[in-house]
Amino acid sequence: MGDLAAVVIVGVGTYVMRAVFIVALAKKRIPETVLIALRYVGSAVLAALVVTLLTDAGGNVAIGFPEVAGFLAGGGVAFRTRSQIWTLVAGMVVFWVVRALV
Amino acid sequence: MSVDRSVARQGITDALPLFVPAIPFGLVIGLAITEAGMNPLAGWSSSWLIFAGAAQLTLITLLGGGVALAAAISTALVVNARHLMYSVALTPAFQRQPRWFRWLGPYLLIDQVFALVTMRPEEDPDRFRTYYLAAGATFWVLWPAVVALGLLIGPVVPDEWNLGFAIPILFIGLLVVGTETWPEVVAALTGAAVTYLVASLPNRTGLLVGSVAGVTAGTIVERLRRG
Repeated sequence: MGDLAAVVIVGVGTYVMRAVFIVALAKKRIPETVLIALRYVGSAVLAALVVTLLTDAGGNVAIGFPEVAGFLAGGGVAFRTRSQIWTLVAGMVVFWVVRALV
Repeated sequence: MSVDRSVARQGITDALPLFVPAIPFGLVIGLAITEAGMNPLAGWSSSWLIFAGAAQLTLITLLGGGVALAAAISTALVVNARHLMYSVALTPAFQRQPRWFRWLGPYLLIDQVFALVTMRPEEDPDRFRTYYLAAGATFWVLWPAVVALGLLIGPVVPDEWNLGFAIPILFIGLLVVGTETWPEVVAALTGAAVTYLVASLPNRTGLLVGSVAGVTAGTIVERLRRG
């Protein structure tokens, strides 16, 4: 029972965090300065997420040659093709190959 | 109608590659539920009630580790605090949406959906909504299924594949495609660098610090460019 209650509370809390600004500011005029700042949330968060995903439980960022090679391959293919699936294939294959070599 | 269908198809096609690296993660969560000795149904429900892998794993692990309920709950919520930034960032786009979608859309606002809609923006409100729903529904259908699979059969994808690394690869790909102006480049680089510097902060709070720093840097550069 306690487990389910915990899941429900975190679920409701997560929904509230996802919805709060979208619902509360639906009809509010957003100042120009804020609109400008909001444009940079996507780039800033995604880049920060990449680093977070490479961080292990001890707070160390694990990035070596294979990861950098995978990023370069995936980034390059994304730029050329704009395709998610080819980005995935290229990035992972290069990552695996370089990891096997070094 | 035909336009709608192609937009929906695009949303699904864009979401599926992002789902591939989520598979081993979902399986691990299934296994974690078993190992935590949780009620399996309560554990599995987290996949559609919380619908955020990192927070689910945090909560399940802490509950299994015998941490006080309130501490486990608040830690999982801190891990999920980044969604506040998604909510504020998408507020302008949702202002052009019908009210039902302003209530439903946030439920599907996971990292991957946020990444897709901010890096591949649809200006037209109807296309935005179709794309968003298609990408979100893809995850909403598949994610609970994979967690259930993890409960039943455990982690069948070998660890050595490091399939999870595909998530940062795909995010880098979206960044490359979606980052077009100098302030955006500065925002991304600052966000990454600051997150790296504060990586030892617990519960993903470094992510929040880094993101705010990135947004601030991007805004400052924009200001300087305007003179």
